[in-house]
Amino acid sequence: MAKKSVSKALRDFWYGKPHTAEEGGRRLGELHEDKTHLYKHREWRGVADTMYYFYNIWLYNYIFMVKDIMVMHGPITFAKGLWRYRWVGQTYLPVLHWFDRGLEGMRGEAMKASAWHYRAMVSTTIRQFQRMFAADTRLHGGKQNELYKHTIAHNETVWGGVFYPWDGEITNVPLEMIPYFVTCHVNSHTVLNYIDAVQSIGLPGDPCPMCQAESGIFVLDDVPDYAPAVITCNEACDASVSTSTLQDWFFDKPLFSLPMPMLFDDPLVKKYVMREIEELWKFVEQQYGIPFSWEKLTKKLELQNELQRFEWEKWEVAAKSDYYPINGVAQALYRIYQTQYGDWEIWHVTDKKVRKILEKCVSKKINSFPQTRHRVIAWSCAPLYYSNWCTWAYNCWGLNVIINMDSLMFDMEIRTDSYEHTLEDMAQYHMWAPMRRMAVGGMHHMFELWDYMKRFNCDMVAMYDQLQCKGVQGLHGLFEDEFRKRDIKAFWIPHALPDSRTVSRAEIRRLINDYMSTVMHEEPLDPSLLDFDDSMTW
Amino acid sequence: MNKICKFFLKLFGILFVVNAALFAVFFFDLDGKLLFNVVEPFLKKHYDNMDRKDTLKAPYEIDKFPKYDFNS
Repeated sequence: MAKKSVSKALRDFWYGKPHTAEEGGRRLGELHEDKTHLYKHREWRGVADTMYYFYNIWLYNYIFMVKDIMVMHGPITFAKGLWRYRWVGQTYLPVLHWFDRGLEGMRGEAMKASAWHYRAMVSTTIRQFQRMFAADTRLHGGKQNELYKHTIAHNETVWGGVFYPWDGEITNVPLEMIPYFVTCHVNSHTVLNYIDAVQSIGLPGDPCPMCQAESGIFVLDDVPDYAPAVITCNEACDASVSTSTLQDWFFDKPLFSLPMPMLFDDPLVKKYVMREIEELWKFVEQQYGIPFSWEKLTKKLELQNELQRFEWEKWEVAAKSDYYPINGVAQALYRIYQTQYGDWEIWHVTDKKVRKILEKCVSKKINSFPQTRHRVIAWSCAPLYYSNWCTWAYNCWGLNVIINMDSLMFDMEIRTDSYEHTLEDMAQYHMWAPMRRMAVGGMHHMFELWDYMKRFNCDMVAMYDQLQCKGVQGLHGLFEDEFRKRDIKAFWIPHALPDSRTVSRAEIRRLINDYMSTVMHEEPLDPSLLDFDDSMTW
Repeated sequence: MNKICKFFLKLFGILFVVNAALFAVFFFDLDGKLLFNVVEPFLKKHYDNMDRKDTLKAPYEIDKFPKYDFNS
């Protein structure tokens, strides 16, 4: 008996504890402190994986975060920004714990490939906030320096690709991507300050909390003044139109509004958007005095197309095999970040590394998610404060999120063979922006779910329900009907996008637990993850 | 030779101690505990007490910038 337990202890030490309860599993829920969800100690994943996580993820990322800051405008710029802006100080210091949440329980190639995606997002985030701070008049005694004069601010749903014609001359930095969007994933507490701020001036609490937060940053005077002009967008919802109005008021700069039409898949509307993009280009030329460059535009678009082609290869592996080594949260966040921000060097570096891992998994037939019970497709907009729910769901129930709506939005290459084709495709890309195509894009695109479900060989749907999105609310019942009619296994995840107070993480887990036990009659793989208190966690 | 050996032994010794210390920080999540219990509360207090401009007092001058009409 003693010999058996010694040999199990040695095996657990060398390989890490097995996943499931039957095998004397790892009980991940017991690694954490109550409420704060800090680790009592980090997970022991076996010698090789623990050492990989320690050196190649934890230490590597801390070192490269410092390196990124040193290379991109330096530590003084960072320190000034950190001291001035809540969203950077409160959010980005515990970034390695964002890795921990997304990568919990991952082993081998899944851990490695997913971590590379996180690394790319961190580097791009640093690039953006450092550029904001380096150009910020508030941090430079009101002076408009050269960087300020060569930076353009824009709404985060305006695709960075529309600025490719000025690559190397004007740097585009989205207004909300770093102060708002990414913060919600890394530290969900920060955004609450901004939501409360906008409600404190009398605005109602029921519109989309994303729009509230994006306005609240301005109300709290927490936006760097880093560019002479701004491009706004209606983000295809009426609450965002109000955000743009508030931004126009508070930012007080020459502004161009690039609309996202409510109606699309219509040749006339596409012509209209093409014209709008051209007008945007003229606006930029006029404001910055730098001419449009067709060569730069096509060169960057070709590079972006390269990223898209690799994404299709990834999808092919995900759809047709069990050898896809990227977990649900890394897949979703990397893809939405990359496609929205536009081409950048780090995406190519990352894809190269991930390609190696992917090819290894395929050639050696490595199943990185061996405990998969259901192949899940996640649809509609995800809860930003709990984007790592899918890591939990795999560890607890064997629910493997193969693909998600955010990844599938920009399912296209952009032609560069003629000005007309390029403009046409760019207009299409713009109209397929986040929350546009498959969230408020009407039944046709919402119901693309059935095709993608088949294409990715999924047997279950995780259906997000953004409680404060009036656009998607109207389709809830239609989905219910379709799920029944098509006999599709589906569970709902209600949430309020960035606001973790409306539907807590614990409540989301409870709903999934209920579905898996009462409808699916399944037992959890790791019962320690069924119920725990992480109410104070980042 | 002895001197070189000693130097390398010392170097390996230092590297080993640094490595072990970093691993302890990593494994027992001391970075997280420090950030959660000390750094974040300190910064929050700083941000909460910052003087901020009352943005609502800024006039909304919608005609301040010229109208951009590119259709003509």
